[in-house]
Amino acid sequence: MANLLCDERDVKFVLYEQLNIEELCESEKYSEFSRETFDMVLDAAVKLAEKEIWPTNADGDQKGVILEQGAVKVPESFHNAYRLYCEGGWSLLAVPPDMGGQGFPSVLNCAAVELFSAANQAFMMYPGLTIGAARLIEKYGTEDQLREYMDRMYSGEWAGTMCLTEPQAGSDVGALRTKAVKNPDGTYKISGGKIFISAGDHDLTENIVHMVLARVEGAPPGTRGISIFIVPKKRVENGELVDNDVICAATEKKLGIHASATCALNFGEKDNCIGYLLGAENEGMRIMFNMMNEARLAVGIQGLAQASAAYMHALRYAKERVQGPEIHALKDPTAPKVPIIYHPDVRRMLMWMKCVTEGIRALIYYAGYCEDRIHAAKSEEEAAKYQGFLDILIPICKSWSSDMGFRVTELAIQVHGGYGYCREYPVEQFMRDSKICSIYEGTNGIQALDLVGRKLAVKQGALFKSIVAETGNLLKNASKNYRLKDIVEPFAQARSQLVEVTRYFGLKSITEDFMIPVLYASPYLELFGDLAVGFMLLWQAVIADRRLEEIYNDAKADTPEKKAEVLRTNRSAAFYRGKVASAQFFSNTFLSLSKGKARAIMSGERSAIDLPEESFALF
Amino acid sequence: MKSLVCMKQVPDTETQIKVNSQGTGIVTEGIKYIINPYDEFSVEEALRLKEKFKQGEVVILTIGPDRCTESIRTALAMGADKGIHINDESLNSADPFVVAQALAAAASQVDYNVIFCGHRAIDDDFAEAGAMLAELLQIPQVTLVTKVEVSDDKTKAIVERDVEGGKETVEVSLPCVLTSQKGLNEPRYASLPGIMKAKKKPIDKKTAADLGITAEARLESREYSMPPERKAGKKLEGMEPPDAAKELVRLLRNEAKVI
Repeated sequence: MANLLCDERDVKFVLYEQLNIEELCESEKYSEFSRETFDMVLDAAVKLAEKEIWPTNADGDQKGVILEQGAVKVPESFHNAYRLYCEGGWSLLAVPPDMGGQGFPSVLNCAAVELFSAANQAFMMYPGLTIGAARLIEKYGTEDQLREYMDRMYSGEWAGTMCLTEPQAGSDVGALRTKAVKNPDGTYKISGGKIFISAGDHDLTENIVHMVLARVEGAPPGTRGISIFIVPKKRVENGELVDNDVICAATEKKLGIHASATCALNFGEKDNCIGYLLGAENEGMRIMFNMMNEARLAVGIQGLAQASAAYMHALRYAKERVQGPEIHALKDPTAPKVPIIYHPDVRRMLMWMKCVTEGIRALIYYAGYCEDRIHAAKSEEEAAKYQGFLDILIPICKSWSSDMGFRVTELAIQVHGGYGYCREYPVEQFMRDSKICSIYEGTNGIQALDLVGRKLAVKQGALFKSIVAETGNLLKNASKNYRLKDIVEPFAQARSQLVEVTRYFGLKSITEDFMIPVLYASPYLELFGDLAVGFMLLWQAVIADRRLEEIYNDAKADTPEKKAEVLRTNRSAAFYRGKVASAQFFSNTFLSLSKGKARAIMSGERSAIDLPEESFALF
Repeated sequence: MKSLVCMKQVPDTETQIKVNSQGTGIVTEGIKYIINPYDEFSVEEALRLKEKFKQGEVVILTIGPDRCTESIRTALAMGADKGIHINDESLNSADPFVVAQALAAAASQVDYNVIFCGHRAIDDDFAEAGAMLAELLQIPQVTLVTKVEVSDDKTKAIVERDVEGGKETVEVSLPCVLTSQKGLNEPRYASLPGIMKAKKKPIDKKTAADLGITAEARLESREYSMPPERKAGKKLEGMEPPDAAKELVRLLRNEAKVI
């Protein structure tokens, strides 16, 4: 069986041909690495993902988690996969060497995590949340906290979680009520309840370190009065682990990621739950926000991963499943039956899935790459430039890729027909698992507000302007190639539409009509995402077209017949041809809609706001 | 405990093989290569022996073009200590006898208690090089090995091997050649720290001249072709069973010519 989790050739294309990450190795920070080590890491990741993690995917989905006497058990198959994951040191891939990690570039981590998440998204929640929590301690912890918690979390010996949500405090995190009362010894007594805590309890590790947002007695209301605490499930006393009064009260029954324990946690029911302050009091939100980019990118990777696995499975199915004759022989009952990839509607769906998946992949990796360029920057100016790109692209990476990634998984079911709707095939699980990505880590609606309300406003629109300038550079370059004309024109148009809508938002925001940008934040993010993905695909097309021409020239293929022969026999040529096609299809089916999308936004249509609640429907 | 592991790089089993237009070989462009799976068992077994004796060395010996470095590094990332890479145009796609000669020449330059080979390579499926190597070195060999227990003094080993319908247990004196079969072990995965360490481990490059051999092929490959596509079957439909049986016999005799 071929790798049905991701197109490895495309992964390498993005890493080496588009982003040219080998260049990162020239900076001192990444000087230890080379193409050879990157390849070895990718190969090892593919192997572990395919052979050990993927076989636990359907099993985890069917068995889910079991809550017994306040403790959660994960599916048995997860234990071996988790052990191998930790033994391989995968959590440490992009962790800095001075923190005990391997210090690989983030962009490579994106590729590895894509593979693992494609193999089993629910499984990856456990190490994923652990890393997020450990990163917080790495950044803000005291030396003692690093040694006591972070080291054990990076090695996988202990796990971690993020405890933000409470029943009344979801998107509105400032409404949280969990309480912290300072003890004479400087620790805090924690009491309260959290819900929707991913990986909140399980039996993969002997201890779990919860990062809990709580309000210290007497702290101001809202987000300004929130502190963050390290609250282990078992605390260390005299060198021994003792119970720290954290109880899992319930696990949610969910649409997808069944094997990820989504827990309701009660802290301090017996008044015996100790928390250790991370950073300073009332700094909780600021500390949390520091991790936001990373966490949101991680969800974007999940969206990508499910799309990737869904596309690969649908493609294989379409090549194998025989149904009906070719369209021009429809009326001939003796005509040979063909695989469904011969049928135009199936091809259209596959093409849609292909360009969206590849576009998301490039965008997500690009965000990871921006992070690396910040670290490897030679000047503050350069670092600021990439930080700007990253900041404005993060909500798009999270939302566009989870929304569109979901649609790819849905199309994978459509390609499979009735079988796709059945448990017998894995595609329906991809769709169910994928849906959560548009909801957690800040709903996509929140992401759109972050983009419109916060990111567009930074430095009077400087982030937006720098993205516009960057796409302009590419446009100039791509316009020189007449073969890319069909791609360039819709792209240029989409770009000016986005600029126009942004200007429109700017005007509205200073008038009494400021509700319009709020109301249309999500469609705006979609338009922005279309352009960002179009940017990636056009960039790729410029490279792929050049490579393809070189191959044609080398093979002296100067007629359509000879070119077809090259495409048939030369794998690279076929791949590059596919890359150009992705850009072309995307330009003509997505970007060409930008004018309509922009018009819909700028209609200023207010029904959604103005309509009295009573008029939505009569109950 | 010193082990020499003969390892071959082969196209991934998942790769769709295409024969080149001249019929002289397969299209190698764009292929993903892996360690021959049987050789991976060898690497794992050698590492386990080293771990068991708490001392020794695992040396990887490979013949092939530049790309084979990748596979050697992977074995080093699994934990092997060093590599010997024979890279010589005249040997890189040689026949099993020439390969065995080159392996023997290289083996005679190093110390070993055991030489491991995969019992066959999954690309050409000859299953000959290991046996020939033992003959050329004039040491004993056990093929299709599924279990290895080396005595504490490293002078002999009790070895289990596959035979038709069962297992055979034999004792063999060391040094010897063992050819690995599926079931010997579950190879470990390369870890990230292992990958980082592998970069710094030595790989010794050698040519035919370094080994003092000249390649004289005993085998000539005439042509590569894809297996013929399976023809569609024939269904006898809408017939009474006795008629269908008669027709079937007729077809088997006259068309398929099998009875």
